[in-house]
Amino acid sequence: MTTLLGWLSGLGLVAGLVMGFGVAPREVTQGNVQRIMYLHVPAVWVAYLAFMAGFVASIAYLARRRPGADRLAHAACEVGTLFLGVNIATGAIWGKPTWGTWWTWDARLTSVAVVFVMFLAYLLLRGAIDDHDRAGRYAAVLGIVATLNIPLVHFSVYWWRTLHQPPSLLKPGSSTMPSVILTALLVNFAALALLGAYFIARRARLLAAEEEALA
Amino acid sequence: MPDNWTYVAAAYALAAVVFGAYWLRLGRRERELATLAAPRGNRGAARTEAGAVRTDSNAGRPDHTSRSQAPSTTAHPRPEPASRPPLQP
Repeated sequence: MTTLLGWLSGLGLVAGLVMGFGVAPREVTQGNVQRIMYLHVPAVWVAYLAFMAGFVASIAYLARRRPGADRLAHAACEVGTLFLGVNIATGAIWGKPTWGTWWTWDARLTSVAVVFVMFLAYLLLRGAIDDHDRAGRYAAVLGIVATLNIPLVHFSVYWWRTLHQPPSLLKPGSSTMPSVILTALLVNFAALALLGAYFIARRARLLAAEEEALA
Repeated sequence: MPDNWTYVAAAYALAAVVFGAYWLRLGRRERELATLAAPRGNRGAARTEAGAVRTDSNAGRPDHTSRSQAPSTTAHPRPEPASRPPLQP
């Protein structure tokens, strides 16, 4: 199953590159630099999905104390942090030619940086505590609190005046995005979602093998 | 607006490096665990001194109740008693 996910994500990434660079047209206002969107936006969606999976698994672990739930939470939050890091870095690269700056402390960027740091703390916390059960419990609480910040990130562009644009797709009403650009975006999202699922499955399996080796 | 292909290339190259490095890290860790697990797997049916086959969960672990008869290969080699010089008064 994991191998199949790996192959599917590989094919999806190729399809995403074809859609993003071959099929989708050059954007009129920004030019070709807008093609960073096909990486930047799906990366944060996959990060959100991974954090949601970690959120549910953390609640399940606190309720039932099943090691499988803890492993899933750990793997999902680690992979989510990876994708969120890619999102922040590609956003900075996109921001330099379009906004004239790599970084600005506006509400969207600051709130997403706070979430990123909280999940880095989550990973550090797991490594800092030797007692496996205690590390799992503390990390689950931190993971839940960090995930609860995601709505703040999403709505920050509505609640405060920001340099970052409001959502084009995850908003009430129909999308104003041209269908070919929307299709390219969704293909890239599917590819990165498959890649994220592949990484989570492999990491969770690795965590199980590590626990078995230490037992 | 200029196309800024350098920024596009930088963004995709960065993502490729990050995801590729993570993928390699997972693979390397899996191989490490496989090499660690292989000797344990081979000792899974280790024989005890009485000749019985131990198939319990402790079969792969070292038996601390009986001292190993095999000579140590670490530290300094100890000379045999016959070859030792007599103690000086």
